[in-house]
Amino acid sequence: MTIDEQGSESESIGYDLHVNGQTYPVEATLDRNLLGVLRTEIGLTGTKEGCDDCECGACMVLLDGQPVNSCSYLAAQAQGRQITTIEGLGNADQLHPLQECLLAHGGVQCGFCTPGMIISAHALLERNSSPSRDEVGIGLSGNLCRCTGYAKIIDAVLDSASNGSVEPTP
Amino acid sequence: MTSGLTSRNGVRNENYLNLKAVTLEPRPFPRADGPDKVTGTGRYAADMVLPGMAFARFKYAEISHARIVRLDTSKAESLPGVVAVITATDVPDVRYSPGVADRTLFATDAVRFEGEILAAVAATTEALAQAAVDAIEVEYEQLPTVTDVVQAIAPGAPLVHPDWQNYEVSAETEQRPNVASFSSIAHGDAEAGMARAATVVTSRYVADASHASPIEPRAILAQWEGRKLTVWSATQVPFDARAGVCETLDLPTNQVRIIVPHLGGGFGGKCGFHFEAHIAALARAAGRPVKLVFSRKEEFLAPDRRREGMVVELTTGLNADGTIAARTGTLLIDNGAYTADAAFFPQLAAMLAAGPYRIPALKIEASLVYTNHQPSGSVRAPTAPQACWAIESHTDELAATVGMAPVEFRRLNGLRSGDVGPVGQTYGEIGLQACIDSVASRLTGETGTEADEAIGLAVGWWPSFPGPSGAYIKIDSDGAGQIITGAQECGTGAVMTLRQLAADELGMAAEDFELVYQDTGVAPYDTGATGSQTLFNNGRAVLLAASELADQIRQLAADHLEAAPSDIVLSDGHASVAGSPNPAVSVAELAATAAGAELLIAHGSGKPGEYPETVGASCVGDQGVAAWASPQFSCHGVRVRLDSETGVVRVLNVATCHDSGTILNPLGALGQVEGGVLMGIGQALTEGTQYDEDGCQRNPGLLEYKLQTAADAPTITTQFVETTGGQGPHGAKGLAEAPNVATAAAISNALAKLIGSHVTQLPMTPERVWATMTDATPSDADRDATGHDTSEPKSGDEL
Ligand code: FES
Ligand code: FES
Repeated sequence: MTIDEQGSESESIGYDLHVNGQTYPVEATLDRNLLGVLRTEIGLTGTKEGCDDCECGACMVLLDGQPVNSCSYLAAQAQGRQITTIEGLGNADQLHPLQECLLAHGGVQCGFCTPGMIISAHALLERNSSPSRDEVGIGLSGNLCRCTGYAKIIDAVLDSASNGSVEPTP
Repeated sequence: MTSGLTSRNGVRNENYLNLKAVTLEPRPFPRADGPDKVTGTGRYAADMVLPGMAFARFKYAEISHARIVRLDTSKAESLPGVVAVITATDVPDVRYSPGVADRTLFATDAVRFEGEILAAVAATTEALAQAAVDAIEVEYEQLPTVTDVVQAIAPGAPLVHPDWQNYEVSAETEQRPNVASFSSIAHGDAEAGMARAATVVTSRYVADASHASPIEPRAILAQWEGRKLTVWSATQVPFDARAGVCETLDLPTNQVRIIVPHLGGGFGGKCGFHFEAHIAALARAAGRPVKLVFSRKEEFLAPDRRREGMVVELTTGLNADGTIAARTGTLLIDNGAYTADAAFFPQLAAMLAAGPYRIPALKIEASLVYTNHQPSGSVRAPTAPQACWAIESHTDELAATVGMAPVEFRRLNGLRSGDVGPVGQTYGEIGLQACIDSVASRLTGETGTEADEAIGLAVGWWPSFPGPSGAYIKIDSDGAGQIITGAQECGTGAVMTLRQLAADELGMAAEDFELVYQDTGVAPYDTGATGSQTLFNNGRAVLLAASELADQIRQLAADHLEAAPSDIVLSDGHASVAGSPNPAVSVAELAATAAGAELLIAHGSGKPGEYPETVGASCVGDQGVAAWASPQFSCHGVRVRLDSETGVVRVLNVATCHDSGTILNPLGALGQVEGGVLMGIGQALTEGTQYDEDGCQRNPGLLEYKLQTAADAPTITTQFVETTGGQGPHGAKGLAEAPNVATAAAISNALAKLIGSHVTQLPMTPERVWATMTDATPSDADRDATGHDTSEPKSGDEL
């Protein structure tokens, strides 16, 4: 039992979420967003919160391969779907090629936008395996980065595309 | 246009002729924090969790000027889950702020801006904390609001701080009613110069306030263990944060430890001392750890780190040959309700208003004016983009008045190596002219400008800030190195570059070192990620530590190899005897030997570079930054497209060139320039805080305060002029702020060619562009009420 913002009590319910190939039992009220549940209940803090108005893209995850802003998506609605967070794409011993490209090109500075940016780029390359520079710009336009000026991020995604690092969805 | 290095009046300078802008080939730059950041395993402050922690929310004023009649927290205290509610009466009665001590942690008698904190609550969930905040009762008597800097200094204006004369101020701070700090620079006889001038041009430019807007909202977690306090904070300046906590909560520095997990950007927004003491005091009252995470809206409303609004009036007298005879200027800088670190802004802004030009007679006066707006503070190159936008737009107006191309006007009047600057400082080798040439040749080299496109350029300058800084380096028994530094990484890669500096000095690889950083409990002092000073000062400290360590290794190797230490060469992780075919010994092997004896451990700090003297200039309210140490120069040029139906401007491509001395990490440097340019485009076109008539922000969110996106990003080419004489390591100057100086100005100048007149308000939003276009129709093209000359060059593809 928890108390919501109006101070009234609401009921927690139990359900399962499938994240990065694992199943996590979750106990949360129905009003919780996916971002909060991933970060505080499941402990996957790679997905970031940069705003509260669906404007920054730092919270982006893949839901059955589609990019969504997890801050604006109810956790309970993600039941039965495959959720991929940044932690599911690669690890320090084996970086995903997108992660490697981003580092090699200098597309990471403070890193706060980076997880969302990589998720977005992954989704873009699944849709379009050889995007133009403009298409990458548009594909990433839901992910704000204050540090890089985007040029090196776009370079990295183009480089990654030319290496065929993401399998396009048929 | 003329080519290459020929200047209009034939002035040539040997040093200048030797300087050339170059495109740097990036060296691979393995970021130590890279894998953490791309895999999402790196922890930021908001990711930190402690057992039993409670959540903090603040009660804000939500009104910009009022006397507090009654503040009642009793209902909030009695709500379920609430573990602490504190107000001004629960903390020491301390008035603080560097420069002008004009604020307290919590409002006492009055509130002076909407984001002022009245009370702080800790509860077992965020929702309960918010419910408790909402239950706090406050009764106000409204006071007259001061929202306009011009009205604020008019005689009889209501005072934001009636008690201002009793505030403690630093020695040189010059205060006046509603003016927190005033500075002026006078050099030569400006009045006489103006009287003799062939032409006099006056301009007035007004810039709105804007925000640093790092993508990570600030977060703070505080925990007490006995009398010891640890605060995890998203701050750019952990040692400043510690100083603030110690001052306001009356604690010694050795009981307070500030740790910064990965920092999600700052741009000055997270400089200074903010909310660490509030959360520490809450944690003490609650008897458990307390965590604060800001919403995006709070990130806009509460921090005292807004980029200041500004009104700039400039008058420049020109000689018939186009040289500048004299300049006067008045700058009013919106301080907001409290001074934060802004006391030195007037002096910075005055130098920016002079600009990097040869001006024989100069008088600039700048005031930091109190209003009931959110306080201003250092945001990436404070005062510079707005002041540069004004001065460089004015410069294009000057060029047009004497019928010169803007680029030629700058070649003629711009500073050169060996020149004497506005406060009598003689410059060594400076790359301004080479920066202009580099940008001009790239921009005009492009083919075909459409009718709705134009190019424009602007020059900028910015100081470097010498300061104290320290680091240790050790190599443990297995040969693994650690750099323990007070420096703070905010994304620029400055701290990451320290590995390379140390490795090069020791003949090792960057990957041989791990960094221990942003923890005041383990590392020596550094000023923090502020003033582009990290590599400039901490690089010096690390180089000194590395060279001390190299001596230790040479001594060990000399014993081992039976040679003189001076003959030992360090390379590839080994020590060998110069010119000897005998096998080398690895640093790891020597480190193992040292582990059983005198450890391999060194420290570095070094004397900060000196500030040059001012000569023959008078500086009232001197805050020490009239003469600039290791000054940096830049030129930015842009090609823009204007949709004349809507007033929407798009920046198509950008050419930049910077003199920041030696570039230590080209990939990192390019990243700083590109990020600075995008921020400059935002400032130019979309980023401006709008206030309602009561001084409250109208657009505190990313939907209405528009940052640039990847779809807006132009292509950017960058060159560097690597002048000698920078006081940083290997001749480096600062860098991170300089790219955020000239972009908005270059856009303004390109745009003016399309419209026929400059847009005189920043940001140059579609509405303002459209209004300027409408005003500048041929029928009233030669109105001169605003002093704008509309005979500016109409051809969009000339500079
Ligand atoms: S946190 Fe979800 S879009 Fe910003
Ligand atoms: S790297 Fe800092 S916001 Fe993108």
